[in-house]
Amino acid sequence: MNNNKFVGKVGVGEILTYVVLILVLVFTVMPLLFMVTAAFMDAKQIMAMPYSWIPSKEYFTTESRTFFTNFQKAIVGNHNDHIFFRNLWNSLIVAFTCALTTVLLASLCGYGLAKFNFKGKTVVFMAIMSTMMIPFEAIMIPLYLVASKLKIINTIPGLIIPFLVSAFGVFQMRQYLITFPSEYLDAARVDGLTEFGIYARIVLPNSTPVIATLGILSFRNQWDNLLWPLLCSQAEKMKTIPLYISKFAEEKQTDEGALMACALLASIPMFILFFSLSKYFLGGAAVYESRKG
Amino acid sequence: MKKKLTPYSIEKKQVRWGFLFTVPCLVFFAVFSFYPIISAFLTSLTNRDAIRRTYDFIGFQNYTYLFTQSNGGFSLLNSLKATAIFTVGTFVPMVVVSLILAVLIMQLRKPGHSKMFELAYYTPAVLSSVVAATIWMILFQPTGLFNQISNFVMHTSGKDYQWLTNNSMLRASTIIVYFWKYIGYFTILFITGLASIPPTIYEAAIVDGSSRWHTFWKITLPLLKPTVVLVSIMAMLQCLKTFSTQYMFVQGGTAREPIDVITMNIYYTGVVNRRLGRSSAMSIILFLIMLCFTYLQFSTQKGGDDVEY
Amino acid sequence: MKKALIAMLLVLAIAFPMFAQGAVEEDNSPITLEFWTHEDAARAELEDKWIKEFQEIHPNVTVNVTRQSAEKLRELVQTAFASGEGPSFFNLPIENEYQYIEAGRVAPCDYKTLGFKDAADLLDHYQDGMIDAVVYDGDVYGLPLELTNWSIFINKNVFRAAGLDAETDYPKTWEDMVEVSSKIVLRDGDIITRRGFDFRYSYELTYFVPMVEQLGGELNEKEGCVNKDAWVKALTFMQNWGPQGLNLGNSSLTAARKLFNKNNGDIAMANTGLYQESRILTDNPDFYNSGEWMVVPYPVFEDAVKNVAGCYYGHFYMVNADKSEREQKMAWELIKYFLLTEGHAEEYLTNVGLIQPLKTLMNGETYQSMPYSDVFSGDFARSHIVYYGKGAAEIQSAIGSAVKSVMLQGTDPAAAYDALQKNVLEILAD
Repeated sequence: MNNNKFVGKVGVGEILTYVVLILVLVFTVMPLLFMVTAAFMDAKQIMAMPYSWIPSKEYFTTESRTFFTNFQKAIVGNHNDHIFFRNLWNSLIVAFTCALTTVLLASLCGYGLAKFNFKGKTVVFMAIMSTMMIPFEAIMIPLYLVASKLKIINTIPGLIIPFLVSAFGVFQMRQYLITFPSEYLDAARVDGLTEFGIYARIVLPNSTPVIATLGILSFRNQWDNLLWPLLCSQAEKMKTIPLYISKFAEEKQTDEGALMACALLASIPMFILFFSLSKYFLGGAAVYESRKG
Repeated sequence: MKKKLTPYSIEKKQVRWGFLFTVPCLVFFAVFSFYPIISAFLTSLTNRDAIRRTYDFIGFQNYTYLFTQSNGGFSLLNSLKATAIFTVGTFVPMVVVSLILAVLIMQLRKPGHSKMFELAYYTPAVLSSVVAATIWMILFQPTGLFNQISNFVMHTSGKDYQWLTNNSMLRASTIIVYFWKYIGYFTILFITGLASIPPTIYEAAIVDGSSRWHTFWKITLPLLKPTVVLVSIMAMLQCLKTFSTQYMFVQGGTAREPIDVITMNIYYTGVVNRRLGRSSAMSIILFLIMLCFTYLQFSTQKGGDDVEY
Repeated sequence: MKKALIAMLLVLAIAFPMFAQGAVEEDNSPITLEFWTHEDAARAELEDKWIKEFQEIHPNVTVNVTRQSAEKLRELVQTAFASGEGPSFFNLPIENEYQYIEAGRVAPCDYKTLGFKDAADLLDHYQDGMIDAVVYDGDVYGLPLELTNWSIFINKNVFRAAGLDAETDYPKTWEDMVEVSSKIVLRDGDIITRRGFDFRYSYELTYFVPMVEQLGGELNEKEGCVNKDAWVKALTFMQNWGPQGLNLGNSSLTAARKLFNKNNGDIAMANTGLYQESRILTDNPDFYNSGEWMVVPYPVFEDAVKNVAGCYYGHFYMVNADKSEREQKMAWELIKYFLLTEGHAEEYLTNVGLIQPLKTLMNGETYQSMPYSDVFSGDFARSHIVYYGKGAAEIQSAIGSAVKSVMLQGTDPAAAYDALQKNVLEILAD
């Protein structure tokens, strides 16, 4: 691998490389820093020209403003309904459940497709793959009607059920498991493990990287989902965090500082997840490559 | 009682278990994907309205309407244009820049540094789109930070670059938000692709005495081609489905037409303006477009699999 | 014999309620009402209190309240009705609500339950003509929660800072508005840092159509945007207002009424309703009590041919016609409790700033003593209800697009009008 890297003394090329990389770094990090700093300012200071990166002291010392004023506003909401944490919790539950079920169902189905031969297997595979071409936006209204018949509108299951598993997940699992040595499975059969036992004790434990990546991907997708909750969540307490923010942003009383505080608070769980599991986030692409051995 | 493991019984067992394992997903997709898309197609042949109790079968009138009329000023053709501009404007720079960044990061000799850049580039991707749009809506204000930076970079003073008001600038703004959010993600995809190229190939190149630049064009890029194609199509499909950024912008008071991407038009026509039939027809058109691109993805992926290092 | 007698008694006991429906008034089995409404903190407080009181009178009733931002509510009610799962009763602005009447999705008022003799008696309790929008085929389909018009709120501090005296220099005409705003506006280069006035963009039916009407134009269900000259003139005015002209404001800046309450010197005037008074009081009591704000009438053009103020719009409580008769009746019962219980109209007015167009209220002392209610009354007298006919919401977005395109893109107003008229006619045609 070294051959691909700079060797010897620091050269012009290397300096240039750093310059470019740092410029891009400034571009990606600047808005994040802006969010964090603005979360402590009031609207007037945020919109001041030039932007002062350090929250001015006078805003913390006055009677009406403290260090946490913006955060208080973000949590309490404009209507004193205190549902921020409830909505955050909903988002976490929905994202976590979807990640879990996606991993389970996709691995089950992917395993079935990768390691078993049965009539109609190709048809089943093609059918599942073809759903990947159906954009969610195209089916949201019929889906709403289905959900309404199932009486799951305005419930947490309603937010979860349409995303229990994704075709993409099934595809990934199948591609990964196809390279899984069949000898292990046969050996386990000889040892008397049931087929489900093989899945649970051999296949699952041996797919951790792809499972982690898939789980994270599914978690992030649901965490980011706006369109479905927009339709499905009616009561305030059934909303998810993207809805909370979008509503908070729409409301006329909200000032920019409180909005940034809200955005910051809502991002913290994802940041924690990201920095503790960055290996799997950054290894996301490994899934594609793994099947090439 | 233990069954004897004859090839026959294994085969029979395979059929049963294989089917059993796939059934849950199959049922799920039948209810939550196939049924709705069929239902959307049937609705697209009617003049169904969200409030009216009855509706009529009108054949393909919705489709002809969409291609000939203006849908109250927010026509399908305008949406296709907005979507195309957004998609091309986003994925081309994104693929090119993320490839360059990936190559640059791979060349750093301190693993700590590459890790830091990877983390920093990827961080915006973990924010939700709503948060991303919210931050940028403030940055893009005439008095906002991004306009100040624009003035600084362009050596102007007090100029309003109209990031949210001028049609072209507004399009550019949505592209910048998306680019910012996903650049790290795609950089990482390329880094993984690059890492899978066996070092022996480079060793051979070095022995041949080819320059770094030469190595990149003649060796790295051709070997990376499957990844490039795959990532491009992935990026493209993702761009075609963009919704949150544009939705948040319009909610924030910007003009709708220039960024009225097809998903947003579906939402407005069906959910806001109640025309379920017409919006279903748009959905089906989006479906067909996606179908073409996904077909492309599959055919190139097949090609990708054949590449041997 | 005894057995037969008991059997007969049983039959009678079961049959009796059927014959005597009038007498057996109370069916006390549990009943749930779904109530969907738009958000307003002060109003929510009042209505939650009243729901509690109502439940004390009717212990078998559960009320589930769903509150949404005004825009989201409209989308949710529509989708819910599409799937047949709408709320028991709800309220929306009339321009989004009228279609429910036309489609037969909402029930006519239950006059008896509401305590009226009939439709005429009900109408007689309200200001003449003000709730005609919900009269359809001789029946009344909703009770008004509010009828609101927007006048001009002024921050005297900002006027003073610009060397003006709000009491005398306030704008009477749109031409004044441009002049005053030009004096107040502050810019850093092209970038506006302080505005005089700015419009309430995306509510074009309410603020812009009246401006067109002042110039002799009209919007109607048959011919769309009538009188091109008037429309072009009004669009030209907007173009002149925006960044392509005098650069006094535009739609992507922070909404004027949002800044107004802060009294932080960013804006001098905003176009909003009486309810803003109670919002100033909640958001910024110091500013409210300082007396540094005032309200003036909606301006007209100098060469106006018609003296009209901004349109008024209404929110009406309506009952879902798909629900059981009993649920409907209970819904009307609760609506009556909200709106018609003695003193409630006054509480809505003083606590939330909502005007029910009841004769007793609008001629009563509470209304008359609200600050600047005379200004709003004056504007009411020279205004009419917002366009609520066919495709109202879509037409509003079409007009909004035209306004934005002349202001922001510098589209020629005549060309913008032609495109607008084409779109409006198309919306009206299907």
